[in-house]
Parts: sequence; C-alpha cells; structure tokens
Amino acid sequence: MDVLPSELKNPLVDLLLSVADDKFILGHRNADWTGLAPMLEEDIAFSSLAQDDLAHAMALYEMVGGLLGKRGDDVAYGRTAAEYRCCTLVELHDEFDWAVAIARQFLCDHYEQLRLARLADSAYTPLRQLAARLLAEERLAIGHADQWVVRLGRGTPESRTRIQSALDRLAPLCGGLFEPTGGVAALESTGVFPKSGGDMFDSWSNAIQNVVENATLRITLARPAPDAAGGRGGKHSEAFAALLDELAEVYRTEPGAAW
Amino acid sequence: MTVADAQAVLATIDDPEMPIDIVSLGIVVEVRARPAADSPASDIEVDITPTFVGCPALDMLRTQIESRLKSAGAARVRVRFINDPPWSVERISDGGREALRLHGVTVPARGLVRNLPSGLVPLTVSAREPIACPYCGSLSTRMESPFGPTRCRTIHYCDACRNQFEHMKPV
Repeated sequence: MDVLPSELKNPLVDLLLSVADDKFILGHRNADWTGLAPMLEEDIAFSSLAQDDLAHAMALYEMVGGLLGKRGDDVAYGRTAAEYRCCTLVELHDEFDWAVAIARQFLCDHYEQLRLARLADSAYTPLRQLAARLLAEERLAIGHADQWVVRLGRGTPESRTRIQSALDRLAPLCGGLFEPTGGVAALESTGVFPKSGGDMFDSWSNAIQNVVENATLRITLARPAPDAAGGRGGKHSEAFAALLDELAEVYRTEPGAAW
Repeated sequence: MTVADAQAVLATIDDPEMPIDIVSLGIVVEVRARPAADSPASDIEVDITPTFVGCPALDMLRTQIESRLKSAGAARVRVRFINDPPWSVERISDGGREALRLHGVTVPARGLVRNLPSGLVPLTVSAREPIACPYCGSLSTRMESPFGPTRCRTIHYCDACRNQFEHMKPV
C-alpha cells in the first residue's frame, strides 16, 4: 500500500516513534563515548554507531513528521517525556562503565535487527523501503558488540566480572524492548508490521544466548509479560527526564529556528 | 536544458568526500526535465539514492547540484533523496572503481553483495573476502578497523607494502 488508511495513522506513528526514540536515545548515550572510549578504534566505532543511530532516527522522525504535518526536528525534540516511546534499556546511564555500554549495545542491536527485518517486509511501501535501507546498514555493525562481549568474557578476571555484572544488571530491563506499542494489532493484521509478536522473543533470546555462551558467561532472559507497561506507553526511568532536558536544551531556546 | 544536458553537468560534480563524480558513484537514479512555467529554461528534478542514510554530506550535495545546474541554465532545481532503489557498491561504474583505487580506496568485487546470505551478515564477511592492496596488488592485507573515516568505508592494512588503505563496505 502506498497510501496509509487513516485508522492506521496513530498506530503507525506510535510504532515509528518507538523505533526512532530507541535509536535517538541510544545514539545520544553512545555519543557520550566520543573522545573517552578505552582505545582510539572504539572512539571511532562508538562515534560511528551513534552517527548511524541518530541519522536513522531522523529519517524515521521525518516519516512521522510527514504523517502528522510537522517538521522532523519538532517531532524529535518538541515532545514531553511522556510522549517518548523508547524502552528503559536505552535510557540507562552507563556512567562510563565500558562493560555496561557494550552490554546495552549488544542486547539492543540484536533486537533492532529483528524488528527492522520484519518492517522491511511491511505492506506499507515507504516504510518497507526505508526499513530495508536501515537494515542493510545495521547488518554491518551487528558483529561489533558480539565480539566485545566475547572478548570481555574471555579476557581478564576483571573484564569478566564486569561484563557479567553488566549483563546481570541489564537482563531484567530487556522485556521493555518487546512491549507492544499502541494499536499494534491493527498494524500486524494489515501487514504494516508483519509478525510483530510471533517468535521475536525466541529468535532474539537464542541469538543472545549463543554469544553469551561463546563468551563463557551467563544471562537469564525472562519472556516479557504481555501486560507490561513502560517506555512504549510513555512511562520512563528517572534518568530519562534529565537526559531529555540535556538533549533538548538547545532546541528549547528557540523552537522552530532554522539551523 | 535537456535531461542529457543535466546529466552531463552532474557527471562533473564530485562526491564531497571522495574523488569520484556522483554519476560514476551510482547515486543519481533519475533526472527529469520539463518546461518552466515562467521562463524559456527548464525545471530539473534529480533523484538521488544516498550511499548511507546517515551520510552527513547530503546537504552539501544538494546545494552543489542546485547551484551547478542553475549556473548551467536550469530554471528551478529540485533534489529528492529516495530510498528505492537502495544504493549498493554494485552501482559504482568501472571508471569509478578505477578512480577510487587510484585514491587508495578499494571496492568489493562485482556480485559479492548480491551473493551475501540474506540472514545476519557480520562485519567479518568483508574480512574473509580477499582484498587486493590498491597500491601493490598484494593479497596479504587485513582489516584494521570496521569503522572508517566515513560511514561507507573500513580501514585496512597491507602487510606487503605497509600502506594503509580503505575499502567500501559491502552494502
């Protein structure tokens, strides 16, 4: 379909925002590492990952803007905290603990791959075309966090302890990735978001367990409760309000300014 | 200005970050010309498929295309960035490949991207592909970093002539 039926507009906006907000906030967190990563290559790597995430988010915000008759910039920055649809995992402040940054990237990357692969089969043409492009780029980065999880797990006693404790800390937040967005059932039945539920959790959890096992570490992943209510419904962690204030500070000085 | 005239102008515009013109790079998908309503010149519309969604050079590219076509006689110029067809290294012309090689940038062999498995494609795929050094031709090369100076390139090192070079990502 080239034109979206009007009853699917709000569900699609909610879905696009969940993808864009995850990328926007994760990209913002990763950009914190520019200049501070443990080695030069990782400085470039995390800056590149952040650049991709922010650009992908912007492309999705433009699509939302097109549906709502707004500028992409206003969609990205001009909302209250409760209007964001990101999950709490991406909001987490890593406090410059490299193991936490790697674990967060690792858990999110695998989920993003699966979500984009489904959206690249969307019945809605503009979304299918954009998701296919984003997926091709995501695929280039998937191995990076995996390699680091293995490297830290099989590294020194300290690196092993730290990556294990990061996985232990982040595992309970992972259910939020799978939390459904508003009206997603209508998107699934019309093929706009095919197989939105389905075997997504099982595929993700298998991919995660394979890498964790190879790293000689362990992680316990619980299937998310179907009625969980969190980031996708606008309920965010405490860290998020502070993050948003920092992120939108310049925009708020003069909304609508041309840059 | 005809479509062919506009295409000839585009073929003289270099990519902002690489020594290759945008037609050889394969990002120009379609050029349309139609009579302008208020002048004897033509309006030109150009469809561009970016190498990477996050390419920071797009604004610069749009400005360059607009100003070059206008100074060549176009009335109004519109640049559209599109996602379909997606750009791929397969779209780089033979001449473009040679221009990049002379600049120390190699390109995945033809057909390689098309034949990649459809599932997860880790970065190590390009590490397994034997890449000939653009300076000495040796195959004793290795990937130094999967992240390079731009989103579309990785960094490699030649053990034979000890030069660093760059490789276009297999997209």
